[in-house]
Amino acid sequence: MTNQMIDSEIQPPVGPDTTAERVPAKQLSKWTLYTRRFMRNKPAVFGIVIFVLLALASVIVPLFARWEVNEMDFLNLSTGPSADHWFGTNASGNDTFMQTFVGLQRSLMIALVVSIGVTVISAIVGTAAAYFGGMVERATLLIIHFFMVVPPFLILALVSNDAGGDWRVISLALIFIGWFFPARVIWTMALSLREREYVHAARYMGVPGMRVVLRHLLPNVGSLLVINFTLGVVAAVMTETGLSFIGFGVKIPDVSLGSLIGEGAASVTSAPWLFYFPALALTLLTVSMALVADGLRDALDPTSAAGGRA
Amino acid sequence: MTHDVIPTQRRVGDPGHGCKRERPSTLIKYLVRRTLGWLLMIVVATNVTYFLAWSFLDPRSNYVGRKPPLSPEQIEGLLGPRNLSESTPLIERWWTWLTGILLRWDWGVSPTGGSVNNEIGYRMCVSAELVLGATIIMTVLGIWIGVYTASHQYKLGDRIWQAVSIITMNINIIVAALAVVILAINFNNWVGTRVFYVTGSSSQGVSGFFPVLVDALQHLILPTIALVVNGYAGTHFLQRSLLLDNISADYVRTARAKGLTKSQAIRRHALRTSLIPVATQVAFSIPAIFTGAILTETIFAWQGMGRYFLTTINGNDVHGVVAVAAFGAVLTAIGAVLADIAVVVLDPRVRVS
Repeated sequence: MTNQMIDSEIQPPVGPDTTAERVPAKQLSKWTLYTRRFMRNKPAVFGIVIFVLLALASVIVPLFARWEVNEMDFLNLSTGPSADHWFGTNASGNDTFMQTFVGLQRSLMIALVVSIGVTVISAIVGTAAAYFGGMVERATLLIIHFFMVVPPFLILALVSNDAGGDWRVISLALIFIGWFFPARVIWTMALSLREREYVHAARYMGVPGMRVVLRHLLPNVGSLLVINFTLGVVAAVMTETGLSFIGFGVKIPDVSLGSLIGEGAASVTSAPWLFYFPALALTLLTVSMALVADGLRDALDPTSAAGGRA
Repeated sequence: MTHDVIPTQRRVGDPGHGCKRERPSTLIKYLVRRTLGWLLMIVVATNVTYFLAWSFLDPRSNYVGRKPPLSPEQIEGLLGPRNLSESTPLIERWWTWLTGILLRWDWGVSPTGGSVNNEIGYRMCVSAELVLGATIIMTVLGIWIGVYTASHQYKLGDRIWQAVSIITMNINIIVAALAVVILAINFNNWVGTRVFYVTGSSSQGVSGFFPVLVDALQHLILPTIALVVNGYAGTHFLQRSLLLDNISADYVRTARAKGLTKSQAIRRHALRTSLIPVATQVAFSIPAIFTGAILTETIFAWQGMGRYFLTTINGNDVHGVVAVAAFGAVLTAIGAVLADIAVVVLDPRVRVS
C-alpha cells in the first residue's frame, strides 16, 4: 500500500481524521482456531467436562473408598443405598459404589487401548493401501470386504470366550475386529490425497514409500483420525459392555460396567440400584464422548459452517 | 460398486422407475451378477468360519467331567457319527460337512445330537419378526425426523430433536432395553393388568387369529421399542445433513419457481436425491441391528437366532455356530443387494451395465 500522492501539487481535502490506528490482525495459530471453534460448541464443552470428571473419578475414587472392590459385607446383603453403602450392595455384599467406579476404570481402560489401537492400525493400513496401490491395495480391500461379511461379533465371542475374562486379550480381540471399517473409510479419503502434487514430488524425489505415507498422507487425514478416535472410544465401550453382559467379556473377580449391568439386569425389579448406577455411569460416558466427537468434527472440519466465523 | 453414471435427457418429473421400464433385462442381469458375487462371499465366509470355529471350540469338552465318567471310546462313539470327532482329520470333517449341505441341505447336528436345521428354521422367523419390524420402523421414523429437522433448521424443533437423538443414539442397547422393561413393569402395575409382556415371543395356549395377533404384538412391542429408540438416530442425522445439502440446490429452487410449495419441492425433488445414501446406510446396518438383537433377545428371553448364537458358543456346537455365521452373512448380502436396488430405483442418473 502506498500513501504517497502522485502529484504533490494537489492537496487532498482536509477533513477530520477518521482512520483509527490500524492494528495488524494477529495471525491465529491452528490450535487457537480449533480451540475457539470447539469452545463455541456448548454441548461439546459440557461433554468434555463430564468426561474428564468421570475419568478423574474412576482413578481417584478407588484410592479413597471405604470398601475394597471384592470385600463382602455380610451384614448388608442386597441392601439399597444407605450411609454405609452409597449405591447399595449386591447379593454377595459387594459395595456397588466402589464396583461402579472400578468398573468404569476398567471400561475406560479397554476403550482407550482399543481406540488407540484401531486408529493407528486403520490409519496406516488405509493410507498405505491407497499410496502403494496395485496388488497391495487389492489384497487389503479383499481382506476388508471379507471381514465385513463374517459377523464380527461372532469372531469376538469366539476369541474372548477363550480369553477367560482377561481384559488385555479382550482389548486385542476388539482391535482385531474393529480396524477394518475405519481403514476402508480412510482408504477412500487417501485416494484423492495420493494424486496431490506434494505426494508426487516426494515420490519422484525418491522418498521411501512408508515415509511418504507417514509424513505426507497421515497428517492430512489427521482431523478424521481424531474424530475416529473419539467415536472409537464410544464404540469400544458399547461392544465391551455387550460382550461382558452376555458373559463373554470381563469376568469375576474383575468388573466392568458391562458385567455390573449384566448382574443388575437379573434383579432389575428386586434390586434396581444394581442396574441404575452402572447404567448411569455408562450413559454419561458414551453420551459425553459423543458430544465431544460432535464438537471436534465442527472444529476440525475446514468446510464446516457449524463452527461459525473465526 | 460399479454403477455407470451417464447423463441422459430424461424428462423432469419422470417418476423413478424409468430404468425398470426401459431395460428390465439389464437390471435383472445386473442384480443377478451382484447376487452371485455376494453368494461367493457367503460361501467363503461360511467355510472360513467353519475352520475358525474348530480352532476355538472343542465338542469333546462337553463330555468331560460327566458323572458317571464316559470312557474315551464312548465319547468317540457319540461324536464320531455326528462328524464332531477330532480323530478324523479336519479336512475330512470339512468335506463331510460341506457335501452334507450341498447335497442334502443338512447343516449337521449339535454335540448333543439335535439337528441344526430344525433349530434354525423356527428361530429365523422369530428373529426376522423382530429385526425386520424394527428396521422398517426406525428407518421411516429416522427419515421423517430428518426431513422435519432439515426443513426447520436451527429452529426449536430441530434443536430438541438434535439433543434427543444424540442421547438416544449413545445409550447402550442393554440400558435402553432394561429401562423399557422397568417402565413396562411399572405401567403394568399401575394399570393392574398385564398389557406388555417382558419375556418370550408368544404365550402358551393362545388360539384364534386375533388373540394370537394381539398376543404377538404384546410381546413384540417392547423389544421393538428398545431397538428403534437406539437405532433411529443414525438415519435422522444422515437424512438431515444430506437434505440440507440438497435443499438449497438449483433444481429445488426451480421447482419452487414452477409453483410448488416448499414442502412439495422438498418431498418430490430434494428428498429423492438425498434418500440414496440413506438407503445404502440402512441396508448395510442390518447386520448391526442383528447384533443389537442378540442382546435384546437375551434381555427379553426370545428364542431367536441371537439366543441360539450364545447357546451354540457355550455348548461348543461347531455346526450351529457356522450356521449362525452363514445367517449373518446372508443378512449382510441381502442388505447390500437391497441397497443396490434402492440406488437403481431412486437415482435417475444411474444406468446399470
